Amino acid sequence: MIEESASPPDYGLEQPLAPRRTRLEEFWLLFRQNRLAIMGLIIFILFFCIAFTGLLLTSGSDPVFDPSLVRLQEKLRAPFSKPHLETLRPNEIPTLGIYLLGTDDLGRDVFSRMLQGAWVSLTVGFVAVGISVIIGIFMGGIAGYFGQRHIRLDQVLVTCLLSAGAALVFFNQAKWGAVLLVLGHAYIFYLLLMRLIAVRKIPPKRFELLHLDTISIDTLIMRLVDIMLCFPSFFLILTVVALLPASIYNIMIVIGLTSWMGTTRFVRAEFLSLREQDFVAAARALGVDNFRIIFRHMMPNAIAPVLVSATIGIATAILTEAGLSFLGFGVPPPHATWGNILSDGKNFIFDAPWLTFVPGFSILVVVLAFNLFGEGLRDVLNPKLRERH
Amino acid sequence: MLSFIGRSFIQKIITIIFVSVISFLIIHLAPGEPSQVDPLNPKFTPEVVERFRKEFHLDEPLYKQYLFFYQDLFTGKTVSWKDNQSVLKKIWERFLNSLPLFILGTILTWTLSFPVGIRSAIFRGGLYDRSATFFSYLLISIPGFFFAYILIILVVTRFHVPVLGMETFGISDASWPSVAMDRIWHLLIPSVLGATAGIAVLSRYVRSQMLEVEGQDYVRTAKAKGLPPDTVHYKHALRNALIPFVTMFGLILPGLIGGSVIIESIFSWPGIGRMAYEAILARDYPVILTVNFVSAVLVLVGTFISDILYMVVDPRIRI
Amino acid sequence: MTIRRILIFAPLLIIIILLQSYFWVPTYEQQTRGNPNRLDDYIFASGGDASILNPVLSADVPSSRVENLVFDSLIDLDAELRYRGRLATGWQIYEEAYFYVNPSARIPGLDVTVPQAIVDLILDAKQDSRKTDRELQDSLDNIKNILVQPPRNFSEIREVKLEKTTEEKRVIKFEVTAPARIKMVLNRVDQELFTNLGRLLGHDYFSSFHGEYYVSSDVPLGNQRLRAQAQEILPATEHNPVIEFHLRPGVKFHDGHIFDAYDVRFTYQALMNPKNLSPRIADFEPVKSVAVIDPLTVRIVYKRLYSPALGTWSMGILPEHLLNSQALVKEAIRFNKDPGTFTMRDSRLIRNPTGCGPFVFRQWKSDQHIILDRFDDYWEGPPNYKRYIYRIIPDILTQEMEFYAGTIDSYGNPLGGIPPHQVQRLKNDPRYQNFSGTSLSYTYIGYNMRRKPFDDRRVRRALGMAIDVDKIIKYVLYNQGERTTGPFAKQTDFYNHRIKALTYDPQRALKLLKEVGWKRNSAGWLEKDGKKFQFTLITNSGNDIRKAILAIAQDAWKQIGIDVRTDLLEWSVFIQERVDKADFDVLILGWTTPINPDPYQVWHSSQTHPYQLNFVGFQNKQADELIIKIRQEYDHGKQVEYCQRFHELIAREQPYTFLYVPKWTAILDKRIVIKEQGADGKVRYKKIEPTKTGDYTFHFNKWIKLPDEPLFLNEG
Repeated sequence: MIEESASPPDYGLEQPLAPRRTRLEEFWLLFRQNRLAIMGLIIFILFFCIAFTGLLLTSGSDPVFDPSLVRLQEKLRAPFSKPHLETLRPNEIPTLGIYLLGTDDLGRDVFSRMLQGAWVSLTVGFVAVGISVIIGIFMGGIAGYFGQRHIRLDQVLVTCLLSAGAALVFFNQAKWGAVLLVLGHAYIFYLLLMRLIAVRKIPPKRFELLHLDTISIDTLIMRLVDIMLCFPSFFLILTVVALLPASIYNIMIVIGLTSWMGTTRFVRAEFLSLREQDFVAAARALGVDNFRIIFRHMMPNAIAPVLVSATIGIATAILTEAGLSFLGFGVPPPHATWGNILSDGKNFIFDAPWLTFVPGFSILVVVLAFNLFGEGLRDVLNPKLRERH
Repeated sequence: MLSFIGRSFIQKIITIIFVSVISFLIIHLAPGEPSQVDPLNPKFTPEVVERFRKEFHLDEPLYKQYLFFYQDLFTGKTVSWKDNQSVLKKIWERFLNSLPLFILGTILTWTLSFPVGIRSAIFRGGLYDRSATFFSYLLISIPGFFFAYILIILVVTRFHVPVLGMETFGISDASWPSVAMDRIWHLLIPSVLGATAGIAVLSRYVRSQMLEVEGQDYVRTAKAKGLPPDTVHYKHALRNALIPFVTMFGLILPGLIGGSVIIESIFSWPGIGRMAYEAILARDYPVILTVNFVSAVLVLVGTFISDILYMVVDPRIRI
Repeated sequence: MTIRRILIFAPLLIIIILLQSYFWVPTYEQQTRGNPNRLDDYIFASGGDASILNPVLSADVPSSRVENLVFDSLIDLDAELRYRGRLATGWQIYEEAYFYVNPSARIPGLDVTVPQAIVDLILDAKQDSRKTDRELQDSLDNIKNILVQPPRNFSEIREVKLEKTTEEKRVIKFEVTAPARIKMVLNRVDQELFTNLGRLLGHDYFSSFHGEYYVSSDVPLGNQRLRAQAQEILPATEHNPVIEFHLRPGVKFHDGHIFDAYDVRFTYQALMNPKNLSPRIADFEPVKSVAVIDPLTVRIVYKRLYSPALGTWSMGILPEHLLNSQALVKEAIRFNKDPGTFTMRDSRLIRNPTGCGPFVFRQWKSDQHIILDRFDDYWEGPPNYKRYIYRIIPDILTQEMEFYAGTIDSYGNPLGGIPPHQVQRLKNDPRYQNFSGTSLSYTYIGYNMRRKPFDDRRVRRALGMAIDVDKIIKYVLYNQGERTTGPFAKQTDFYNHRIKALTYDPQRALKLLKEVGWKRNSAGWLEKDGKKFQFTLITNSGNDIRKAILAIAQDAWKQIGIDVRTDLLEWSVFIQERVDKADFDVLILGWTTPINPDPYQVWHSSQTHPYQLNFVGFQNKQADELIIKIRQEYDHGKQVEYCQRFHELIAREQPYTFLYVPKWTAILDKRIVIKEQGADGKVRYKKIEPTKTGDYTFHFNKWIKLPDEPLFLNEG
């Protein structure tokens, strides 16, 4: 940035140099220099409000704006056109008196539909990213914090035993499956029992083989990440969504389940460096239990890159949902989403271009806002980049 | 080095096995069946449907289907349920169609993003940099299908020339330069669309790499020596900033198949993406699974190549 | 700095090269100017790719479209929707009927049960014109020939299901000592023959024939089961309709081989070969035998009365010499495959077909295009176009834009043609000519009659009355549709035009619902016994018009206080999870209507099980009787009468709300005309006119594209 950041006033040498501002204030000071990011934030908040009011005004049995009200005789009216009042029943007259954004091929009010769709886009973005962030933090946290621990051979064997048993039951070999399942559970029970009775008893020699270390938890999780990264993501999402029944929840879950790998990597990297730091060592020395250390002490310090990638993730999720809707695999009608308004409208692009341009530009603006905001966050939260400005 | 290669090779094999299992499960446990067993066709009787199921091993237990499938795949015998064609042959044919699109897209991405990114880094914070930033985010944010339709409509209604498909249909009897140019024209818009997001991301990356390097001591030294700024930027800084990009060559490999489902469908470009999309619609499991498998292999090969390139380029990395 | 220059000039150069290519691309007008051969190509765009180019192995619409050009059939429909000969020059339909002599029955006026005596009795009755019974007289007059077949012994091996609960079957050998049998050759098919003969021979003459007396099995079967088997082995009466085709001499396949009756027989055999998994097998299951009389005559005998039989032969004929078992074995060996498992489905020819149609197959690129060249030796004379290209473009908008760019000549799906809103726009464009006709299909809303409250006719009628179908036709279809009231093709006689469509009247709908007990509650929803009227309306995704109807119906029903949820399902899920398992309340779907009516699969009460086509669960005794009669009647006039009665019954019951029959519309460049060479050798051009039934492609083989739009004298 060209303008210098508001530099602190001259401090006397005796005065402590510690910043007087809270972290949030400092953050805000830095952030507001980035005009694009501020713009993004404003649009973001605006979008949020619109989506909320949209939800309130378009749902219920008698909504203020009815997005599914069909007025066939009023089809394909241009934006800002006045309705032909003489052909409409009283309940069919648009709330605003005009068709603000025109009507679609069934004479439904595009403005109402856009309002309804805003909420869908918003929830798809947030829920999908929420799922991916939760999985990501969980996996990354475990890999980063417990990473060095190894999985013992007996644990692997028990897992194999149990899954083989389950598989056999699944394929109608109930007898053998049950035997394996019982064996597996018996062993787990035995282990628990041993733990309760004899604390840290040295295991007898002949069982030593069972306690051999195999792979570390870190390797396991990172291999899982590798496996997930192998799938071509849009193709995978498309496949799953096409095979599952069309529903907004499936889309959120599928997008969430296929996009947690980045977060996992960030969190793991942060944790690996944080766990070596003094404050963590101190907490451990005080006997603070693991989960408190993870969530109270380490997570707040590791959250910055997650936040950034989540913001940008929301943008990507909204785009993905729009793409799926566009290909016809999105949310089932008559529920409107921006993607399916666009995909329905594109057939009428010569007759009614607004059906394509209104949702297209809305998606563009919202996604851009999220991206710019995310970028601003990254600049502010990343101390290395901060120095350079 | 050899041991690294060996280890990573084994790792990749294990990964690929898991990928094959997971993708197989996803597809087979989902509801629905291939369209060949479409029972609403009044001409199909339940017995015929049953025979189709037998033919395609759909009545076998899942693990047997899995074995059948991958056995066929590795012996090259897998056939598409839709048209009984060899899947590998089909993929190869489509791959050749996707290839020019991919190559031109890559060339556009790499030739355009470097000048843009370097210039933004040199004039960091200036109007150029800020508008470049804004435009790259605009390009990332624009929904590809929306952009595609705007471009197509523009060209078709304003210039009255065909843009869809790989060539103008029925032109085959014209002279060869016009056929060649016609092909290039048809490549232009889809590859520009395919490259937009790439240009935006890569130019941002170039910019940050350049900034990173420009802050290093040796660059400052060079500047202090009074070398002309161009020499400093393009000789000292750029060369070192390029290192991470070498490794990215491996990572563009998966783009060959992942390509773009949406762009290829819109432009009715007979590439791999469109084939995959059509296979999903028809529930042509062998094709879906093979595309998935091949693309997973490409991802792994890509990362493998980029690991090795990294070792070759950067002497600090030795495993 | 060179690096800097390279970095700037390299992208510039690339962009310039790319952009200049624009000047090489032909525009709509130049398409024909710079490239004269383009005029000889006809390019058609379709949404779907063909699956297999073999009429025996595929039944989907896109494949059929190409098959119709490559393969020729024995017969097809002419401009008036009547059958006309193609590879066949003519045909006869007659019947052979049989019945077993029943020694246990008493025949009035006859003491002996010697077969010859019965024959004599019938012959006497035939001569005796004093009989007052007209119907019997008709049947007797129809008998051309009658003779006795002596008793015979034979054994038959059958698979029998021993227990009802299990699927297990056992192979059982039956010893049969069949009694004498009487064979009659009839001039025309007569489904009432045995009913009428009953008046002569005694009413229970045929029903009291006990097949089980003549049959013994090697494994003891229960009495009942043995009787059931015996009825199949020795049916008391049997109708065997016969079709005899006379073939056109000198017709050549594309490879020069001469077409003959053996090819017809082979096509039938290929169809019935279980290895080929033919989807058309149900059409040919009633065939008993196909016999070659001489190279130009083939006789097809049917097991039972099956009136749609003739229509099934409008299927392409395969070349025997390329696909018979020797040819397949040779091909298997050439490609290093196991000859034992090599079937027609593996043959190279399913993607490189050879037939005797007007076009020769040249190339097929999956999901891209299929190219056909004209066949210069076509028996009717070669088509004018040199090439037919079938392009696959899935997206409707893309098709339209390709049409503007001039790279396709025609497009649209075969049922609906091009989408209504495009028709609206293109109709008035001076560059194009357009044709329109009623299509052979209809769209309906179907109610699951197994579920309440759809089991009540009044509810179904009320729901139908709440939807303003005329408005749908006017605004959604832009008048590209007509109302329909029943399951038959509107352009055929079978459709009963006297039946009035339901009128849109939500008030009367409410009244009807009130009769049944549905009343509006305080919130405005309909309620009965404290339960709200609510259900789910579903249809498949990918069809924009059905999607629009989904939204309209939901809204219309909401207006009268019904809470309707909607769901749009992907085709295979829709069919398998919902339709097949009859797991739905109400759905929107369409049927194609064949020219030959056969309502059996969609309407008969025996077809209501899962995976069958009567998924709405329509059951009606009267309807069942009519359906069987329609299926067995070969006489057009009588069939029309039965169909119209059936139509009436359906309209009364309202199992579906019949919405509309779409009109298809085709748009063509005005430069495409019919070119005919008169007897004097002079070339004449004519405007393309659709036939009476609206088929504009009927004269396709005579079409050609001219460089400029011709001026027709008769045009104002």
